[in-house]
Amino acid sequence: MATDPAERLLNLIIALTHARVRMTRAQIRSSVVGYEATESALSSDEARRRDAAFERMFERDKDELRRMGVPLQTVVDPTHGDEIGYKIDASDAAMPAIEFSPAEAAALALAAEYWQGAMLGPDAHQGLTKIASATESVPRTPLTLGARTSAASDATATIVDARARRMVVQFEYTSEGSGTLTRTVEPWQVLLRGSAEYLYGFDRDRNEPRTFRLSRIHGTLRAVGPDGAYEIPRPLPGFDWGGTRSERNATVGLRPETGHTLRQRGTVVGVEGDWDVVDVTYRYADALRDEVLGLGGMAKVISPTDIAADVRRYAEGALAVAESTPVSENG
Amino acid sequence: MAERTAPRVTRLLGLVTYLERHGEATLATLASQFDVSEAQIKRDIELLWVSGVPGHGPQDLIDFDPWAFDEGVIRLTNSQGVGQVRLSPREAVALIGALSAAVSGGAAPEAAHSALTKLRDAVGDGDAVRTLTRFRVDPELAATLRDAIDAAVIVELEYVDANDKKTSRVIEPHRLVVIDGVTYVECFCRRAQDYRTLRLDRIAAAVPGTDPVVTRPNESGGFSLVPKFQAVVVAHRSARWLLESFPGTSIEDDGEIVTASFGVADAPVMAARLLGIGPHLRSIAPSALADEVSRQARAVLAAQA
Repeated sequence: MATDPAERLLNLIIALTHARVRMTRAQIRSSVVGYEATESALSSDEARRRDAAFERMFERDKDELRRMGVPLQTVVDPTHGDEIGYKIDASDAAMPAIEFSPAEAAALALAAEYWQGAMLGPDAHQGLTKIASATESVPRTPLTLGARTSAASDATATIVDARARRMVVQFEYTSEGSGTLTRTVEPWQVLLRGSAEYLYGFDRDRNEPRTFRLSRIHGTLRAVGPDGAYEIPRPLPGFDWGGTRSERNATVGLRPETGHTLRQRGTVVGVEGDWDVVDVTYRYADALRDEVLGLGGMAKVISPTDIAADVRRYAEGALAVAESTPVSENG
Repeated sequence: MAERTAPRVTRLLGLVTYLERHGEATLATLASQFDVSEAQIKRDIELLWVSGVPGHGPQDLIDFDPWAFDEGVIRLTNSQGVGQVRLSPREAVALIGALSAAVSGGAAPEAAHSALTKLRDAVGDGDAVRTLTRFRVDPELAATLRDAIDAAVIVELEYVDANDKKTSRVIEPHRLVVIDGVTYVECFCRRAQDYRTLRLDRIAAAVPGTDPVVTRPNESGGFSLVPKFQAVVVAHRSARWLLESFPGTSIEDDGEIVTASFGVADAPVMAARLLGIGPHLRSIAPSALADEVSRQARAVLAAQA
């Protein structure tokens, strides 16, 4: 009967941890429980079939080890030709003991929900198992904090793996300025921002740091080329999200008991008919325009007049389209 | 389907490490610590017991005290030098990313911050992922809600809804949740007699009461922002940034023109956002959404005369 893959993998980990110098594939195959050893009595066809089966199985197991975070070292021994051997350095591999309080452990548990349904979901669960083995047993406290995202991209997991090995990534990307192009990027950091995920890294084609919104990647993001292809600068250069604009002043009209978020950062300076006149600060004209548009007629811009004109222009544009949309939904 | 290999082996190594650090433990303790059944822990121990160094002689195997085992107590006597492995880069990003998203709005308790700091220190390469804060909540308000959640008491709120109407509500708060960078309180609203997910930045005032929370958290996670209908909006590509920010949107790009399909949970809120790309719009369907856009556009034009 075939051995349980978990049993084979566990025996492989124990064997490689105990290897004095290294274990070759042949040694692994003949001594680790779960692999099918060669037998001299086999026909050459059958022997080839078994060799191929072992190679497939061992490659799969190496992938599983990588997936678990086991640092598998390859050791080339010059006295034994070019054949590669393997070992695991127990002290390098070990999970450090971290003491989490019950409240901290409860907070960590939110990771499982955050990545639910995403490619990093199983990694979150596996990470929590590792945390559980390194921490004091804790009374389960209910989770009073949660986090969710609608943006988790499958590319994130590939970027993280590539970054850990310092491999560059390649993908098709659409930007407003230059249409769809193939980009080659050295990944520095994954950025989570509201309902979007970004890759921050060095764009080899532009020869400068760039951010890429992962939802704008077409098809698959691939890690390409050798390991150790670049270094990540420390500290990372800062980037401009456009958050440096200084505050300016505007005057808006608000119907009584409305526009509370605008009122919170403004001052009521008077009353004109049915309108409270409020001085507010703003950084971006388009943000103020959107805020006033969003109040559905309960607000208007008094000054600056160019923002007031913009509010009208945007409402007129939306109105024209909304009222020209065919009534029939089936047509 | 049988459990996959990597998660199971990760737990097997975890059991060894946990037992090494804590001496012995009951099946029940291990089951709760690793969040699986006692029967599963028993199968795990039985597998560990027959695993070991090549040769598999009596001294080569992971070993447990058989008498204690019969009493339901797991006592490790030989680990064969193996144990839990450090977090993989992906595991580290999954944990650090989720936690950094949860603390980004400023509403998280101190324990979430300290857990994040410990994690970043433990993995060494802790800046593979970072959350950029979009909306910061009022720390005093967050503290009021957190304290009420911990004490399981009601809170009286002044709440400004999406239509800018101010209402007073009594809520039974269950937990704070950060969704796409925005902080909400999941609660049972006594006025609506239903579960609600309320934005913290729309709460104008919060006063804790003494009445206890009697409802249980919503089974479905309390996420009440469920789409009511599908919409299709066609616009010039310069409006793409807004359309692609809608949760669950799918976008077809035809050069100059983009077509976005997405679920609408709240038509007035969505209509207000579409006004923000007014000049770039080409068509809006269904009429439930188009009518709301035209109603709001007319109201704006009447005000901004």
